[in-house]
Amino acid sequence: MNQLHCPFCGARELHEFEFRKTRANVGSAAFSQVYLRVDSPELSVEYWQHVQGCRAWLLVERNPSTGVVLGVEMLPAVSR
Amino acid sequence: MEFSRLQPRYSALALLRARLSRDRYWHPLWGGHRLQAAYDVVVVGAGGHGLATAYHLASDHGVKRVAVLEKRLVGYGNVGRNTTVVRSNYLLPENHYFYEDSLRRWETLSRELNYNVMYSPRGVVDLALSDDDMGRLARRGNAMRLAGIDAELMDDAGLKRFCPELGLQAPRRFPIVGALVQRRGGTARHDAVAWGYARAATARGVDIIEHCEVTGVRTAGGKAVGVETTLGYVKADRIVFATAGHTGMIGTMLGTPLPIETHLLQAMVSEPIKPLLNTVIVFIFPGHGETYIAQSDRGGLVMGGHLDGFPSYTREGRWDRMQDVVAGAVELLPQIGGVKILRQWAGTNDMTMDGSPILDRIRYDNVFVNAGWCYGGFKAIPASGAAFATFVATGTPPDLIKAYSLSRFDTGHVLDEPGAGPFPVRQ
Repeated sequence: MNQLHCPFCGARELHEFEFRKTRANVGSAAFSQVYLRVDSPELSVEYWQHVQGCRAWLLVERNPSTGVVLGVEMLPAVSR
Repeated sequence: MEFSRLQPRYSALALLRARLSRDRYWHPLWGGHRLQAAYDVVVVGAGGHGLATAYHLASDHGVKRVAVLEKRLVGYGNVGRNTTVVRSNYLLPENHYFYEDSLRRWETLSRELNYNVMYSPRGVVDLALSDDDMGRLARRGNAMRLAGIDAELMDDAGLKRFCPELGLQAPRRFPIVGALVQRRGGTARHDAVAWGYARAATARGVDIIEHCEVTGVRTAGGKAVGVETTLGYVKADRIVFATAGHTGMIGTMLGTPLPIETHLLQAMVSEPIKPLLNTVIVFIFPGHGETYIAQSDRGGLVMGGHLDGFPSYTREGRWDRMQDVVAGAVELLPQIGGVKILRQWAGTNDMTMDGSPILDRIRYDNVFVNAGWCYGGFKAIPASGAAFATFVATGTPPDLIKAYSLSRFDTGHVLDEPGAGPFPVRQ
């Protein structure tokens, strides 16, 4: 994985982006949201930011075993 | 060649005898055992921690039937992928006692295992580029000394004497003002650690079964009764998971979410060159990142830096991180600018939410997990093996590892060395 496809800027080098955190995937309690993760070797859902580009926050879905990017979405569209 | 548990004791005399017997003396160090139907303890994962735990279960606690099941090969995982640094220069008391216990064991490990692990106390040097850095390192050094661990804060004159290869007299873009040095820190031969423990464990009756993947845990009446493997079902009184790098998957298999994410740390080694560097140097420089560098006994410059920065199982490593590490190395030692990189690789790390390991029961009373070593598992192997074996054998965690419980996240007693908060990527 050397590039990410920003929906706003197009394909850009990975170093322009910063991984922020994994999307919580266990329950709704604050403790599990902060500390616990269900680990899946096929799917990782993450928040990234295009810090050296448009600075948009992105929701990125990846396969962590192969490095294949399954999807990139603008975060506001997701949260609406 | 026939396999024997009775390993000849290695010594100079044995070497001579081997030569005279035309090398018929050498035996395979492990392997050749069939998987039995039942064991007292099944250890999952033949890496450093799994093998060390099995060795101590057999040698310190007299547990008779111990098996180590390994999906691939002995030492294929992180014990063969790390950058071989051993040290105990931590800040928090819980980590002091644990890692210092480990470092003391490193000093005598070759003798204990009768196998040369090539422990080399060449010093670990944390460089300071500013007065702020010096303050930060002084705090850590003082904390270490209060715990009885050797630490030395050096100014640039002292560092010039200790580490002349740094060429401190030349003008630098980022002047080095001093360093925190732990002289007893250094390196060890990583593969030899896995091989030495595998050999010593085998000699004490442990079965090491390679190419045997554990696919599930069978339970009955609220406790685990055995493991399903690719070679069939195995009954086990107690089960130990020592699968750091893939413990997240174990949590998912057991239906227990863990405070762990899996991240990559990459490392690389240069072509072999003549002796240049006699210490391990950690160099964090503004705006780029971190480079740590040591020279292996074969002459290669072994380098690494920060985590790749996002969850991954690929074991590939990102290109721009490699560039960061190399840029730091050349900034530090301009004379290596023309040296070529020979190999680059990455290992998967159990990154916990506070950057400290987890040594506890998981889900069932007789299932134990030795995990969450982040990027610091190698140096911990001797202490972790001994302490964890005591835990598994007696059911009570020794004081040394009490702080590494899973419940610390519930109670707020996290061991967050850098104070980075619950973000594995920043640990």
